[in-house]
Amino acid sequence: MSTFMQLTINGAGSGAVFALLALGFVIIYRASGAVNFAHGSLVLVAGYITVRAQESMGITVAAILGVLGAGVLAVIIERVLVARTRGGDPIALVLLTIGVDVVIVEEVARRLGSSAPFVRVPWANEVIHVGQITVLKGQIVALCFGLVIIAVLFALFRFTGWGLAMRAQAEHREAAALMGVRNTQVTAAAWLIAGVLAGIAVLFLATPDFAGGGVSRATHSLVLVAFPAAIIGGLDSTNGAVIGGFIVGLTGAYSQQYVSFEFARVAVYLVMLAVLVVRPSGLFGTKEVQRV
Amino acid sequence: MKITRSLVAAVTVGTLTLASCGGTKSESENTGVTDDTIKLGVLTDLSGPFLELSEAILAGNEIWVEQVNASGGVCGRDVELVVRDHGYDADAGVVAYQELESQVLGFMHVLGSPINAALDQNYLDNETTTVALSWSSFILKNPYIIVPGTTFDVEMINGLSYLMEQGQIKPGDTIGHIYLEGEYGENGLLGAEYFAAQHDLTIEKVKVLPTDSDLRNAVTGLKGSNVAAIAMTTTPAQTLNVAVVNQQLGLDVPIVGNNPAFGPNILTPETADALRNVYVVASATPYTSDVPKAQEVADLFEARGDGVPHAGVPYGYAIGEIWGQLLEGTCDDLTREGVKKAKDEADSLDTEDLVAELDFSSPGSPATRAVYVAVPNIDTPGGLDQQGELFVSEDAETYRAPEQQD
Repeated sequence: MSTFMQLTINGAGSGAVFALLALGFVIIYRASGAVNFAHGSLVLVAGYITVRAQESMGITVAAILGVLGAGVLAVIIERVLVARTRGGDPIALVLLTIGVDVVIVEEVARRLGSSAPFVRVPWANEVIHVGQITVLKGQIVALCFGLVIIAVLFALFRFTGWGLAMRAQAEHREAAALMGVRNTQVTAAAWLIAGVLAGIAVLFLATPDFAGGGVSRATHSLVLVAFPAAIIGGLDSTNGAVIGGFIVGLTGAYSQQYVSFEFARVAVYLVMLAVLVVRPSGLFGTKEVQRV
Repeated sequence: MKITRSLVAAVTVGTLTLASCGGTKSESENTGVTDDTIKLGVLTDLSGPFLELSEAILAGNEIWVEQVNASGGVCGRDVELVVRDHGYDADAGVVAYQELESQVLGFMHVLGSPINAALDQNYLDNETTTVALSWSSFILKNPYIIVPGTTFDVEMINGLSYLMEQGQIKPGDTIGHIYLEGEYGENGLLGAEYFAAQHDLTIEKVKVLPTDSDLRNAVTGLKGSNVAAIAMTTTPAQTLNVAVVNQQLGLDVPIVGNNPAFGPNILTPETADALRNVYVVASATPYTSDVPKAQEVADLFEARGDGVPHAGVPYGYAIGEIWGQLLEGTCDDLTREGVKKAKDEADSLDTEDLVAELDFSSPGSPATRAVYVAVPNIDTPGGLDQQGELFVSEDAETYRAPEQQD
């Protein structure tokens, strides 16, 4: 029983980080109508800035620089590349983000060489024992960050002009534009938020708690694990991203232990397929309605 | 008259062409060898996941070459290395091999299990004696392959024997073994299973891929099985992850790892404490060994002022020593056939304890059964503290490797 409980804690802890990553996918999808496969490179850039700056400036300033750096890079990608494809084929936009991702990841990997430095956040490698169960402080902090971010995003979407514009744009881009919504500002702000979320996520990913590795190619690979979370929850649902994150985390934990690591690699995708069969827009995604 | 001149010219050109073809044929018998030079190839990973290890081994090779050339060379010739990067990609390795094969006498080393697996038939077809840095006893069936030290299965037998000698495991215990899918992991598991059969141990197996970076749930499961130790035939990053989780979950059991399961880059201020429970088992001495030759090589490496201290440096030097002694044994026949014959007859190669005494004369059998056991220490250059002298257990000596013929 204690093994099952520990696996549940492990899965939920990973799920909290996956939720942060899935939120980044969702926000950009809502703003740009395409999946951003360069999200992993934003995470990597934030991690790189943080580990390079933490020696001289301390972790707090370094983390802020990393988070802002990823946000600014996201806006640059959107303004310089994505904005030019507006109205174009969404598949071309997806391919564009893949291309950007490859270039950035290779450059960061070249700069890192064989090193994989950790971000030295205060919650790393700190544990709390509750009877037979071990809880990582990092998991609790990630969960708190996730809840706070959800609350902030909810407030932004509900109670600000930008949120209203964002929702209108996600509903119907052309109609929103005709109603006076400035697409460029809304979209750029969404990319900025997604970049910031990527910068926050790396503060949990590149610690000894999560996968044993510091900032490296492996960090980038972990981000892609969060992609099914966004699909399961519904690509346009922020609440769905959080639920999807936990589903991915728990599915991985249970299937790795009770079946095998081989099965665990496909288990998340089997869950995703099952969800899509029952609810093609994901658990909380908006159902697509077409008039005929 | 005009026709006759043309005919003469054509005959002359034809004769010269045939003569030059004959010359090429003659050279091919001594590929890579001239009156002044012996060329040896190196196919290694200078841009992929084993960059750190590869650079260190190559540096050790180069130090040996510099030293041996400065003292007159081998068989009166300078040794020259021709190096190509395969980035741990088997296809790139095959292309690089094809480029170098016609230029070199043999291969000083080819690093990587997938690359050596892809080149297995080429070694046979081209008769290229190769130091294969794959350390799997499965590959010893190829008579042109030299594994300079012991193999993963024997490493694991010795590692578990060491833990038993230290009283850290006992008959009847359960041992977790996390191992990579493929030749490396399967060979390590073979050793663990052999040892378990000899000592009434139960092995709890967890098969993973190199991309499985988060092994928290595997360790959680092993804790549920009350394991007394964890064996690792994995990547360094995976070893680190398991060591950290081992500590975080309060499991705190000893971890024994094959030689590629550790790399100095996993040893950081954040992880040093978690890695204190890890025992690394390898044929080669740690970088800072008490062995005098290892200290000499470390001094030469530091004099270069370039590169990160790593156990691969003395190991690379030892590989050079092996090649030097094989070539010296066949100075009058510097052909591929001659090198193969020298290798088959070498039953006691001495690298001044950088690696245990090596016997390549028993087909299919690991060249030695002895290992060094070391534990990570962040304050030690190279990251490993040697634990005692060369170690060989009774189980390792009596173990019959899968391709062993005698």
